[in-house]
Amino acid sequence: HGNPRSGRWEPAGPRPPLAAMFADGTAPGADVESLWRSARTARCEAKSCQTEQISTVETAAQSHTSRDAAVQADQSKDALQDFHQEVQVDYTSLLSFLQRVEDAVIKELNKNWKSRAFDGFEVNWTDQNEAVLCLHTLSYPEAQDQNLQVTSVSWNATGSVVACSYGRLDGGDWSTEKSYVCTWNLDRRGLNPQHPDLVVDVPSSVMCLAFHPSQPALIAGGLFSGELVVWDTSRTEDPVIWRTGMTDDTHTDPVYQVNWLPDTKHGNNSRLLSVSTDGKILVWREEQDGRLALAEGFAMVAQQIPRSTWLKKFTGGEAAVGVTSLSFSHFDHRVFIVGVEGGYSLKCSTAAETLALHPTRSSVPLRAPAELAFSPHGGPVYSVSCSPFHRQVNLFLSCGTDGQVHLHSMLQTQPLISLQLSKKYLFCVRWSPVRPLVFAAASGEGNCNKHFCFIGDVYLFDFEKSSQKPAISIKQAAGECPVYCLEFNIKQTQLLAAGDATGTVKVWQLSSDFTEQGPRELNRLEQLASEITD
Amino acid sequence: AEVEETLKRIQAHRGVVATIVVNAEGIPIRTTLDNSTTVQYAGLLHQLTMKARSTVRDIDPQNDLTFLRIRSKKHEIMVAPDKEYLLIVIQNPCE
Repeated sequence: HGNPRSGRWEPAGPRPPLAAMFADGTAPGADVESLWRSARTARCEAKSCQTEQISTVETAAQSHTSRDAAVQADQSKDALQDFHQEVQVDYTSLLSFLQRVEDAVIKELNKNWKSRAFDGFEVNWTDQNEAVLCLHTLSYPEAQDQNLQVTSVSWNATGSVVACSYGRLDGGDWSTEKSYVCTWNLDRRGLNPQHPDLVVDVPSSVMCLAFHPSQPALIAGGLFSGELVVWDTSRTEDPVIWRTGMTDDTHTDPVYQVNWLPDTKHGNNSRLLSVSTDGKILVWREEQDGRLALAEGFAMVAQQIPRSTWLKKFTGGEAAVGVTSLSFSHFDHRVFIVGVEGGYSLKCSTAAETLALHPTRSSVPLRAPAELAFSPHGGPVYSVSCSPFHRQVNLFLSCGTDGQVHLHSMLQTQPLISLQLSKKYLFCVRWSPVRPLVFAAASGEGNCNKHFCFIGDVYLFDFEKSSQKPAISIKQAAGECPVYCLEFNIKQTQLLAAGDATGTVKVWQLSSDFTEQGPRELNRLEQLASEITD
Repeated sequence: AEVEETLKRIQAHRGVVATIVVNAEGIPIRTTLDNSTTVQYAGLLHQLTMKARSTVRDIDPQNDLTFLRIRSKKHEIMVAPDKEYLLIVIQNPCE
């Protein structure tokens, strides 16, 4: 600025005075208008909004009538057509495809039919264990000190917890003994067989137990006093969540069996079903205040049992028929089988309409459900079990004090097969959940060789191996120990829990031939069911 | 029509338990089983057939899958593959 230049070159033309070449001055700054940024206000407008006064009106509504309606999606008969409509099918190309492959497929089908290549070929996917082992021997010393017996065992929905109820099966008519319900979680590390995970004190003898089929913590028990109680094992404070209490509706005799029923009408809630020797079969639903209220009921009265030639001499009249056990059909949920003290089993239906002539009052009318009476055992029936396998001809087993197990088809009164398993009483019979031809029976006291003996056995019967004698007979314990109850574990199918009179529950691990279904078993079962009906 | 005739012939063969025709996307277009079982078979076998086909072609690109048979304890499943369709036949072999 202002320094006179002394350049090497000289401008052409007359030279102006040096000082006039440069002058101080300020140039105005150059402004470049921004092309993209413009004053926000140029594009904006001010607006305001205000919600208007909301108009409100107060009203109340109260429904005073209600009606129960059920909604059920019908099986769509157009199921096949449904996906046809979505997919465009080019029939000509489909036809040419089928014509191309038909010959090859028919040839393969024929080859298969005649092939002997796979005869006797079986693959072992799992480790074979050959013997039956006793995995756990569980007991509760306090209960054993009081000489209590295990009256019932149950596995929970996940198959990892086994619960047992302590009580006395020979308690007589009046019993005010305390009892316990104990649970052990077998999958836990540090399982102490003498120390149950949970012990619930119960003021009366618990005669039967049932875990909820889908909620792993709920367990229901039937008491000697005729009450039903539901415990929630996840609650540490007071596990009792529902009970029937002693009302006019409660059973007047011990409850020998309790089952959970799926309640299709009221969402996912289940109902409880209880069976007792006072002849009543009651269905309970849960009320809010922790009570169990009677939802529906059935009563077995001697007069209303369907008559048959061999029942002619039964003159029970209006006497109640004591029900000792019950099993629902796996395929038709309205059909169930009950075993009674009179020694026979009955086929019943929940859809029965006729009212029962039962003498006691009840808040809900009791119905007579019996439809068909099966031919009797030589003594009271203690346990019935419906097969989960055969669809067409529902099969069930019944066992009783005559030491016999009868395999019945629900369609005929005479048993298909009648097995004399032992000379002792049979207390419990259960079908295997995996092998259609296998069942287990628990035996106990009885007369053998002219004296009363108490040795308990668990018999495992396999129709595939023999139709006359048990495949395996497991001795529960040395010495006197009748086995009163047993249950298969549905999730871990190699486990079988058996409870006995000395207050121990033994968890047996069955060998692999009891846990894997053979290739032809269902067919053999069907054959068995139909061979004697001819 | 003729499609039904052909399928009926296959279905009537000794021991055949079910017949399913599946299109290239794995959607069943003809079946003799109930809906849910059909959808299950169609989806699983479609995937398995694709895997089997790619296995054969990976080993030898000049080769291709012509037929797939799966033998299980209870039955034999036969799959006849094609560019546009899949025919699944389930047979209970005699013993």
